[in-house]
Amino acid sequence: MAQQHGIIVLVDVNNALKERSLDGNAYWFDNMKFLGSTGEGTEKLTTIVPGAYFLDGSQATEQVLNWLPAALGSVPPTVPRNYLAEQARHTDQEALQGIAELAPADEAELGRIREQAGRRARRSHSSRSLVTSKVLDATGQVAGANAADTYNYPTPVITDITGPAVTEKIIYPAQYGSPDMTYDGWYWAATVDTSRPGVYAYTMHIQLHELVSRDDELVWEPVDLTCESYLKVITDPKRNAFTGAGLGVLPLPAFPPIS
Amino acid sequence: MPPRPKPTQPAARPLTITAVVDPVAALASGNLDENLYLYDTNRTVGSTGFGTPELRTRVRKGDVLLWNVIPLECETFVALADIDIDRRVADPVRKVYPGTDIVFFTATVKRDLTGPIGYRLSFLLGGVAEPFTPEASPLLVGPDTKES
Repeated sequence: MAQQHGIIVLVDVNNALKERSLDGNAYWFDNMKFLGSTGEGTEKLTTIVPGAYFLDGSQATEQVLNWLPAALGSVPPTVPRNYLAEQARHTDQEALQGIAELAPADEAELGRIREQAGRRARRSHSSRSLVTSKVLDATGQVAGANAADTYNYPTPVITDITGPAVTEKIIYPAQYGSPDMTYDGWYWAATVDTSRPGVYAYTMHIQLHELVSRDDELVWEPVDLTCESYLKVITDPKRNAFTGAGLGVLPLPAFPPIS
Repeated sequence: MPPRPKPTQPAARPLTITAVVDPVAALASGNLDENLYLYDTNRTVGSTGFGTPELRTRVRKGDVLLWNVIPLECETFVALADIDIDRRVADPVRKVYPGTDIVFFTATVKRDLTGPIGYRLSFLLGGVAEPFTPEASPLLVGPDTKES
């Protein structure tokens, strides 16, 4: 199988929420620059997809694409998958311990514990994300009294992939579950029909989350936006990145190396 | 039992500078500059050079800066190793997100800048012990610095 393409869309969530638009607020990447992808790190990424044959002339397998979103200015996606839940549990335990040690009617100390426990936000019914509702800030600490100004933007959520590449049946996107360690177990992937060369646009539907105060309560409000990217299917043969040739056995040494 | 410190609550989000790194391409080619994309959260205030290793971040005295890393392939290790900057401008401190070993650096801008101040980021990639430092240098620019 050829190497899978990873496509990352990095969203400037703060500006996107302010402007209610992803124009100028989404930066695209893939790991195929060495094959000829253009516009890495910009709004205008064209992902290269080599064609239907391997270098040795044999028929290639279909190309697989994976999409992953990330938020600029947030806790990065490299923290463990259950990070939000772990932080919520940990700070709750600390707060409970604080209450247990509390002298009666110590108002100052109660205020301190309240800050330490942080604030919780309710989840809107149409929201598609957020493992836990405890509000963290951009450094991974619980966000207290200033939560509305300091909260960590949750990772954007891809809700759909549409556009010419889909309607013309060049890609077949779908959301999959996986034991992936860093992206909450869900990701969007597609297979590409590499037999029809050309440039095809697709639209990514992305849901951001804004923390709003309503009826004296914090609520995660979903905001749905879209942005566009491109696939360029070419006729160049696929290569095995190890051997530079087609599919086949890897060049193993004639005898096992001595360790 | 000694009194515990009151948790400090920041009033605003830090100005985040994020390095997006393609670690596999950087290790394969030995060239980090072509596989490093810098961004910050201050575009509307006047930062420029987005998506290049020469990001110019517009700062003011008192801004809290936060540097972190997003790898293009989450299976490959990338971490910010160090920040080399004039300590009279900012004094970055290495921290980790609580309960993890994921590193970020923070610093407060100590004064308003009259000219651009270059600084150097270095990174640990994969299993290589020696940090990688890009040739290109990102900049902090002051509120009144004229862009050419």
